[in-house]
Amino acid sequence: MQDRDLRARFRQGDPDAVREIYRSHGRLVYAVAYRVLGDRGLAEEATQQTFVKAWRAAQSVDERRDLGPWLAAIARRVAIDVYRREAVRSADPLESVAPGDPALVAAPQSAEAVYDVWEVREAVAQLPADEQEVVRLQHLDGFTHTQIAERLGVAVGTVKSRSFRAHKRLAAQLGHLRE
Amino acid sequence: MSASDNERIAYLSGEPVESLTPQERAELDELRALLEAPAAWEEPDTGLEDRVVAAIAAEARGPVAAPAPTKPARARWRLRRPVLAFGGLATAAAAIAVALVIALGGSSTKPLQFAMVVNGTSLAPGAHGSATLTKTQSGWRIELSATGLQHLANGRYYQAWLKNSAGILVPVGTFNDAQKVTLWSGAPVTQFRSFSVTVQQANGNPASSGKRVLVGTAHPVH
Repeated sequence: MQDRDLRARFRQGDPDAVREIYRSHGRLVYAVAYRVLGDRGLAEEATQQTFVKAWRAAQSVDERRDLGPWLAAIARRVAIDVYRREAVRSADPLESVAPGDPALVAAPQSAEAVYDVWEVREAVAQLPADEQEVVRLQHLDGFTHTQIAERLGVAVGTVKSRSFRAHKRLAAQLGHLRE
Repeated sequence: MSASDNERIAYLSGEPVESLTPQERAELDELRALLEAPAAWEEPDTGLEDRVVAAIAAEARGPVAAPAPTKPARARWRLRRPVLAFGGLATAAAAIAVALVIALGGSSTKPLQFAMVVNGTSLAPGAHGSATLTKTQSGWRIELSATGLQHLANGRYYQAWLKNSAGILVPVGTFNDAQKVTLWSGAPVTQFRSFSVTVQQANGNPASSGKRVLVGTAHPVH
């Protein structure tokens, strides 16, 4: 009932309802957009457009439909549109374009690939803070367990324990992605 | 959990594990690649929430309708009554002129528009709302809707301001109640993007009192 009320208020453009839905899904939408675009500014633009499009379509969406996958699908389409716009806009000589420029990036991720990042993002967000920090330092920043221990000022064994617990949770939650 | 599951977890967490098959290793490497993707960790700017709220508020208000094109009466008469060959040439020219007026005057180009969320300051912590700022021929029309500000009267009133990056303030209107207000700015919002509302006294001093109750920053919508 609460969810139905929230959706009704969102359809009406109630700022509080918009905030509530953004706070529950905004980071995930952003993750999908960033996965496609690889650029913070463009991903934020795509995120904003995604919520506007979601609002426009809110009248027609089935109330029973899970918001998450629906928003992810919109986010992917919006991000691809932004990607194509940027690819067309880039008229610089090839040698002057930075390696990470969207114009040089391969075709946008498949729907499965971008939704995978949504699920990973959600799984990571559910980790306890100390485990999340270890996983981030290890995977995003590329530190070894010894380096992480030095940075955090804890024993290497503590880092290994946190890492194992974190990955056990992640494996349980994300194992289906590789099936 | 079985030993093989522990080995898979150990591999995922970065430990050297020799007993995995190439396929198991490849699957876990894919999962590690997802964990290494910046998209799994990047956080959007904290201001994005406000921009999303403001953009939807702007959509909810709807775009300003382009003025209906007016066809020149003489041309319309000529289209209905082409008679002489000489008049026929003039008729064709008039038809082209009308078509151009319709094409240009009836353009579906969206007006330049900004939007913002406005929040109360320590003087009015419960105040909150949004505004759209639309460029028109007369200037920038600012449609503000805010709650949480008391109605002012008896010589007290609200004054809205826009400010640019150099700190120059321009007044954009006075009002008594913020629930639904239309303000106007002759200064371009593209440069004057900081919005504020102050409480003023009708004492002949036009300068800002500095008693800000509502603030916001305009962001382009389209």
